[in-house]
Amino acid sequence: MPPVPTRQIYWNIAGHDYMYLFLLVLAAVFLYGVWRHYRTWQRGRPSPWEHRYRERWRRFAEQAVVQLRLVSQLVPGIMHLFISWGMVVLFLGTVVVAIQADLHIPIMRGWFYLYFQSLALDAFGLVAVAGTVIALWLRYVRRLERLRKGLFDGVLTGLLLVILLTGFVLEGLRIAATADPWGLWSPVGYALARLFLAAGTSVTVMRHVHATLWWTHMILAFVWLGYIPFSKLFHLLLAPANVFAQPLTPPAQALPAIDFETATTLGAAHFEDFRRKDIFDLDVCTECGRCEEWCPAWVTEKPLSPRAVILDLREGLHSMARSEGEPPLVAGGVIRADTLWACTTCGYCQEHCPVFIEHVPKIIDMRRYLAMEEARLPDAMEAALRGIEDRGHPWRGSRFSREDWFRDLGFSALRPGEKTDVLYWVGCTAALEERSRKVARAFAVLMREAGVRFGLLGDQEQCSGDPARRMGNEYLFQTLAQANIQSFQEHGVKTIVTTCPHCYNTIKNEYPQFGGVYQVYHHTEFLAKLVEEGRLPAVAGNDLNSGENNAPAVTYHDPCYLGRYNGHYDEPRSLLTDYLRLDLSEPELSRRDSFCCGAGGGRAWAEEDPAHRVSIVRSRQLMATGATTIATACPFCLPMLTDGVRGTGQEGEHVRVMDIAEIMIERLGWQDKVAPQNTITGGTEG
Amino acid sequence: MKIAILLKRILDPEVSPHKFSLEPGATRPSDAGIPKVISPFDENALELALQLREKSPGSTVTAISMGPPETVEILRKALAVTADAAVLVQIETDPGPDAFGTASTLAAALQKTGPFDLVLAGRQAGDWDQGQVGSLVAEMLGFPCVTFVTQASPSGNGLRLQRESENGYDVIDADLPLVLTVTNHPGNVLRLPKVRDVMMANRKPVTTIAASDLAAMSTKIPPLEILALEKPPAVAAAEIVGGRDEQEIAARLVQKLQELKVL
Ligand code: SF4
Ligand code: SF4
Repeated sequence: MPPVPTRQIYWNIAGHDYMYLFLLVLAAVFLYGVWRHYRTWQRGRPSPWEHRYRERWRRFAEQAVVQLRLVSQLVPGIMHLFISWGMVVLFLGTVVVAIQADLHIPIMRGWFYLYFQSLALDAFGLVAVAGTVIALWLRYVRRLERLRKGLFDGVLTGLLLVILLTGFVLEGLRIAATADPWGLWSPVGYALARLFLAAGTSVTVMRHVHATLWWTHMILAFVWLGYIPFSKLFHLLLAPANVFAQPLTPPAQALPAIDFETATTLGAAHFEDFRRKDIFDLDVCTECGRCEEWCPAWVTEKPLSPRAVILDLREGLHSMARSEGEPPLVAGGVIRADTLWACTTCGYCQEHCPVFIEHVPKIIDMRRYLAMEEARLPDAMEAALRGIEDRGHPWRGSRFSREDWFRDLGFSALRPGEKTDVLYWVGCTAALEERSRKVARAFAVLMREAGVRFGLLGDQEQCSGDPARRMGNEYLFQTLAQANIQSFQEHGVKTIVTTCPHCYNTIKNEYPQFGGVYQVYHHTEFLAKLVEEGRLPAVAGNDLNSGENNAPAVTYHDPCYLGRYNGHYDEPRSLLTDYLRLDLSEPELSRRDSFCCGAGGGRAWAEEDPAHRVSIVRSRQLMATGATTIATACPFCLPMLTDGVRGTGQEGEHVRVMDIAEIMIERLGWQDKVAPQNTITGGTEG
Repeated sequence: MKIAILLKRILDPEVSPHKFSLEPGATRPSDAGIPKVISPFDENALELALQLREKSPGSTVTAISMGPPETVEILRKALAVTADAAVLVQIETDPGPDAFGTASTLAAALQKTGPFDLVLAGRQAGDWDQGQVGSLVAEMLGFPCVTFVTQASPSGNGLRLQRESENGYDVIDADLPLVLTVTNHPGNVLRLPKVRDVMMANRKPVTTIAASDLAAMSTKIPPLEILALEKPPAVAAAEIVGGRDEQEIAARLVQKLQELKVL
């Protein structure tokens, strides 16, 4: 009978039982580390938990196993796949050894020994080495900007590489010294063994070196493992857990409502006011900096980095054992108030965080504290909130009323009690802001021409509450939401269509918290539907229409609340290319990578240093496509980018910024239908 | 120090010109669909009152407004920024431009609910812009009055005041009792209420006095009456200054502006 393939464990290690002593120490240190964190996680308020386990496992498979988000940056993604999967397989190899050595179950033999314990382990070990080398290369040779280059960042990776390499050398020495007949199944070890033999190393020397190296390897590995719960390495365990535990309904999209009857603190003054999941998030951060890369605040040198928010909170959490007697986070130097106000809530950070940390809800929670408990906001934002409170809209000094934009088009507002199926929710900006009013006119005319009967609330419309909610005044938001829901009820509204992605998000995702459930459409979604139903005429000409000198005709800016928040990337594009037959050139940052215009989260009303405007940065990116028309689909992006383009100086002189509805009017040749009409016709609805 | 602050509820002065309308024959603008707000200078006066209360412990701030029952809304706003008490002097419609009538009713209300050491008012209301009520109330109460005040702080037994003047500002020491009319200043922008205070304000009581129950201060002046009110026709006059080149256009423009005595 041929001998069964296997190998002897600890063949050269006298006193290997001492290892258990080390193991015990490791376990104690590790558990202590975990317990320390566990205690801090308990400081938060209970988090809601949706079961839906099938969905959770699906996300786990996509993001923890295949790691799709990480791979969206190819080289760093592969680096991470290599290291993580290398380590998982090597860990399983160790488990197999333990089963055989400690439980005395002989599984390390035969085909399993050859294919898994020898070949696979070697292959994955090599993969892990490659990953580690790429990691060091990215950090210190490519010097990827987002990666921190502190001492420990290098030491942790370097140590891992040493552990992996010593493992291979140990294997080589064993194969050479024992003349292992199955050595070839461990190709890396075998190659090293050949090298040692070729160098004429004696068995005694090899045994000696092996023994010393074995203990070194073991102790280094234990130190590395023991350090896990005390460093960013903790993400090895916490990241997969966080992928699994992520809220299935994103709280940034539908911010948690405050119950004012029962709330003790409004917003987050201390760690105890956050939800447990928010506290847990802090420990998961790997410091990778992906969140920061295209954070509009960070890129334009505002005092905000989403990574720093997480890390500063984490540091505060661990240095402040309890909050009693401590000043609130925003007053006690943990987080600065101007950091919080710099956020546009664009969601880039959380869309790109590979471990699914949610920055926006934390920032809003702390804003809530500032806005409601301390009534402390930047002056310009305060004025906008006051405007909403006094006159139901934030556009102070607008010369228009909500009914001015449609009067000459022959529309009129719904009379008290009058019913409508489809309501066009105009929103404050499209009704009152000079530039955006043209969008309301364009869209209303398109609907009329398509034969859609729709109602308008006119003066009965109030701010949807999105700016108030995102500036932290939840109380004002709830007042507005309830008033608007009441208006909807009065007019029997079931379907709402809006030109504003912010209103869209709030009415669709947040009003249900107060019992307002409607079929809500963004106008691009609605227009795409009308086109599909053949209710709008075909656009003349079959060719893709190019701009001057073969430049692309148009580029498209994804509004954050339409794209990242609600996943509508395709309808606007299909209107531009399939329906309008325009030659569309994508900016480098588009779809989920889109760069904010700078207006979200109440920033439309904030003071911004003219030398560092988000809108100018974004306009440059869009103009780099060579397109002379920038299309967008948001009444905030529109004036922001119009200003931004102007701010780029001469290059911007020939570039126009337009809403898709306006471009449709132009391509259909309906300019005269939206031009100011002198005679007021007496019609009611379109 | 017992402080009273007079607040007027007016039509939102920032309303769109298209919304501002007069029914034919009406003697007051129609208010349908137009928000009502605290008159802007009264907000500055309110802020000054709150600051004074902070600077002299034990003081109280009482907000007083005259108008129909809905005027309670602006008194609630005052309560939300922590005014201690609110008094509504109830009349049937929002007060018109009869400054004497308004002042005498308010003075009577102040006497009834007082005595107050200090009465603050905006320098003028944002609708009729007459700027009389504050000084008239002082006259009727027999208090001295300082107008156009921007800042105030306790000093000795009275107040040290800063008041806007033609070429800068005056600093004045004044004894109590006193009436101040307040003008706007970066230092007296009305604070934002804290949400808890807004919620509390809805539960605080508002004292209501019917104007008819007040023995109005005797005035020999007959009440002011509006006979007719009209919107001035909107005239847009524009002249385009032409010329051969920029220099000529600029020269002509300067000449025109000088003719118009703008430059
Ligand atoms: S939401 Fe946008 S602006 Fe705010 S921290 Fe994240 S990336 Fe920066
Ligand atoms: S928050 Fe997420 S994206 Fe940002 S540094 Fe931490 S792990 Fe990376």
